[in-house]
Amino acid sequence: MSALLDIRNLHVTFGAGPDAVQAVRGVTLKVAEGESYGIVGESGSGKSTVLRAICGLAPTSEGSILLGGTELTAPRRADFYRRVQMVFQDPYASLHPRHTVDRVLSEPLAIHGFDDRERRVEQALTDVGLGPSFRFRYPHQLSGGQRQRVAVARALILEPRVLLLDEPTSALDASIQAEVLNLLDRLRTERGLTYVMVSHDLAVVAHMCDRLMVMQHGQAVEELTRDALRARAATTDYTRQLLTASHGYTKAAS
Amino acid sequence: MTATLSRREWLLSEQPASRRQARLGQGYRTWLALRANPLAMIGLAIVVTLVVVALLANVIAPYDPIIGGDLRTERLLPPSLTHLMGTDEQARDIFSRLVHGSRITLMVVALVAVIATPIGLLVGTTAGYFGGWVDTVLMRVTDIFLAFPRLILALAFVAALGPGIENAIIAIAITSWPPYARLARAETLTIRDTDYINAIRLQGARPVRIIWGHVVPLCLSSVIIRVTLDMAGIILTAAGLGFLGLGAQPPQPEWGAMIAGGRRFIIDQWWVVTMPGLAIFVVSLGFNFLGDGLRDVLDPKARK
Amino acid sequence: MSALLTVEDLRITFPTRQGPSEVVRGVSFTLGRERLGIVGESGSGKSQTGRALLGLTPPPGTATAKRLEFDGIDLRSASPKQWRALRGGRMSMVMQDPKFSLNPVMTIGRQIMEALAFHGRSGRAEKKARAMAMLEAVQIRDPERVFRAYPHELSGGMGQRAMIAMMLVTEPDLLIADEPTSALDVTVQIEVLRILDALVTDRGMGLIFISHDLRLVASFCDRVLVMYAGRVVEELKASELDRAQHPYTQGLMNCLPKIDNDTRPLPTMTRDASWAL
Repeated sequence: MSALLDIRNLHVTFGAGPDAVQAVRGVTLKVAEGESYGIVGESGSGKSTVLRAICGLAPTSEGSILLGGTELTAPRRADFYRRVQMVFQDPYASLHPRHTVDRVLSEPLAIHGFDDRERRVEQALTDVGLGPSFRFRYPHQLSGGQRQRVAVARALILEPRVLLLDEPTSALDASIQAEVLNLLDRLRTERGLTYVMVSHDLAVVAHMCDRLMVMQHGQAVEELTRDALRARAATTDYTRQLLTASHGYTKAAS
Repeated sequence: MTATLSRREWLLSEQPASRRQARLGQGYRTWLALRANPLAMIGLAIVVTLVVVALLANVIAPYDPIIGGDLRTERLLPPSLTHLMGTDEQARDIFSRLVHGSRITLMVVALVAVIATPIGLLVGTTAGYFGGWVDTVLMRVTDIFLAFPRLILALAFVAALGPGIENAIIAIAITSWPPYARLARAETLTIRDTDYINAIRLQGARPVRIIWGHVVPLCLSSVIIRVTLDMAGIILTAAGLGFLGLGAQPPQPEWGAMIAGGRRFIIDQWWVVTMPGLAIFVVSLGFNFLGDGLRDVLDPKARK
Repeated sequence: MSALLTVEDLRITFPTRQGPSEVVRGVSFTLGRERLGIVGESGSGKSQTGRALLGLTPPPGTATAKRLEFDGIDLRSASPKQWRALRGGRMSMVMQDPKFSLNPVMTIGRQIMEALAFHGRSGRAEKKARAMAMLEAVQIRDPERVFRAYPHELSGGMGQRAMIAMMLVTEPDLLIADEPTSALDVTVQIEVLRILDALVTDRGMGLIFISHDLRLVASFCDRVLVMYAGRVVEELKASELDRAQHPYTQGLMNCLPKIDNDTRPLPTMTRDASWAL
C-alpha cells in the first residue's frame, strides 16, 4: 500500500532551552489515498499539533512528512496548498469577521489564478448545502453550523486531495454536528478525498474513520481499526479508559 | 411579482444579493448605531459645520480677514451687530478671521490624519505580523519618536525647517504616528494567530495580501477611533505652535496665532482672545464626542 | 415533601433593535431535594433559566414569573440584601470553565475563605479548616498546595473541583450546575461527576444540572426537562428517556454517533416550526 501521506518520527517542539514544550514526540503514521484516518486524544495530547505540522503551521523539529512520496519543504510550496487543506475547529474564529462569504470563497481562487470564479463559488456553496442567498452574508449573520459549512466550502474550493479536519464539529450542537458529519461523509464518497480527522470524541472518530490512532502527552499510544474499536480489542489501558469514558456516566458504586 | 423593498429594508436585508448591497448594509447599520448616540451626533454636527464653514469661507465671512478697516475708528470694537465677534487690534473682523481660520484648522487636521495614519498602520502591522528582528527594529524606532514630548519635537522640526504652517503640519504628523503604530501592532498581535489568518496562510497567500486585506481592516477601527480622539490634541498643538509664532505666520488667521496676538488685550478687550479660544474648544470637543461615539459603535469590546 | 424551588411561567426578555425578544417563554417546574436536568441546545434558554433563578439575568434583560419561590421566600421581590444572603449561602452555581469563573488574581484558598466570610461568622482558623476539609472532600490529593495556588496553575479538572469546593463550602440547599463538565476532558469529566454525585447525595441538596448532553444528564439526574426555543417541550423521568414522546427529544437522542450500532448517514432532525410556538 503506497501511502499518500507518510509521517515518519515526527517531533514538534515549541520554544527552546528549559522552556521548550515537546508537543509531539515521535509520531509515525501512514494514510492511504481515499482513506479516512482519525487521531483521538484529550487536551494536551498533541493531536491538533500533528495536523498543524502537516500544514506547516507548526515547525517540524525532527522527522519528516511525505506527501505522495515527496518530502515536504519548509516553507510549503504553492502546489502543496492545492493538494492539502484544513477545516478548523471553532466556526466562530475561522472566518474573517469583515469578509463576506463571497470574499472568503473567491480569495483562494484569486491567489491561485483560477478562472471561472463566479461559477466555482456558486457551485461550492451548493455542494455544502447552502444556497446562493448566503453568498454575500457576513459571518455574524450565519449560525455556527452555517459557518462551518462555509469553512468546508472554502477548504474544498481549491480541489485538494487531502482534507485535514481539526475537531470540525466539537463546537456545534449535537443535531448540527450530525448534519455536518453527514455532509463530510457525502463529500468524501463523492470526491474520493482522503481525510485526517482529529477529535476528542471516540464516537465521532469511530463513525467517520476507518483507522485511528490514540495519542497521549504527544506520543502515539495505539493504532486501531474501526472494527477493533467496536470489538473493544484495545491493547493499552489508556485506550480502554477512553472507551469506558465514552459510555458516559454510570451511577455504579466504585 | 416581487414587492419592491423600501431603501431601508433593502439595506438591512439579512440576505444581501450583491457585494454592494452587503457593504452598504454594513455601513447603514453602523450609521444607525451612531445615530442613536446624541453626543456623537453633536460631535458629528460640529465637525460637519467645520467642514462646511471652511469650504464656504468666502461666502460666509462678511469682511476680509487680512485687510482691516479704519485703524482710527474700528480697532478693538466689542461684539455688535456689525461685527459679530468684535474687531482685533488691526481693525479686522474677528468673525471673518475665525471663518477663514477654520480652513487652516481643517487643513492641519486632515493632512496630519492623512500622513500619520498610513505610516502608523504600516509600521505597526508589519512589526506585529513579522515579529522577530523586524518587530524589534521598527518598535525601537517608534519608541524613539514616542519618547519626545510632541510639542518639543515639533518645535525642533519647525526650528530646523523654518516656521510656516506647512512645516508645522509635517512636524505634527511626524510626532503623531507612533501611538497609531503601537495600537496597530497590538491589534495585529491579537489576530496573528487566529484561525482565519491561519486559513488564508494555508491558501498560499503572501504576507502583503494578508496584512493589507486581512489585518489592516481589523486594525482600522481602533486607529480611526484613536485618530479622531487625537484631533483635539492636534488642533491644540497647531494652536500652540501658532501661539509661539512657529506655525502659521501673520497675517494668516490661524486660531492659535490669533490668541497669541490678542494676549495683551485679554483684560479689557476679552473678545480678541476668547473668540478663537472658544472656537478651538468647540471643535476639539466635537472631535472628542465623535471619537467616543465611534468607539461605542466600532469597538466590539465596548459594544453592549 | 415541600418543594424547595417553585417556578411558574418564567419569562426572560431581552430588548433588541427589532423589538423585545423572549428567550425564555413560560418555563414552569418544581424542585424538591432531588436532581433535575435541563437539556437544550444553544439558544434554548437553559442557561438563562439557571441564571434567573439566582437573580443574575444580565441587564438589559428582564425576568418575570407568576411564581418564583425558594423555600417559601418570594424571589421576585427579594431585596439586594436578601439576595446576598441567598446567593452562595443557600443557592450556589457552578459554571462551565474554571478559567473564566475563578478570580485569576486570588489564590484558591482565599476565594474559598471569602465565600465563608460572606456567610456566617467564624474565625480565620476555622475558615481555613473548613476550606481545607472541603478541598479534601473534592478529592484533591494535595490540598495545601492547591490552597495556595492561583487558578492558572491548576489543570481544568482541578480548577473545576476547586470551584465546586468553593460553591459547596457554605452548605447550600440548592446547587445549579451550568455545563460543569463541558470544558473538561472525557476521563476527567467522569471523575468530577462522581465527586459531584457523592457530595449531592451526602448533603441532601437539590441539584439543577444544565447541559446540552442529553445522555449525560439522563445518567446523572432523576428527572429531565427538555427545552427548545425558550419552552419546555418535554418533562420526563430519566429512566424513561427511551420512551420520550416529543420528536425533538427523540431527535436529540438519535442524532449522536455511537461506537456500536452506527447508522450512516446519521439521523438528523427536521425542525418542525410548531415546536417553537
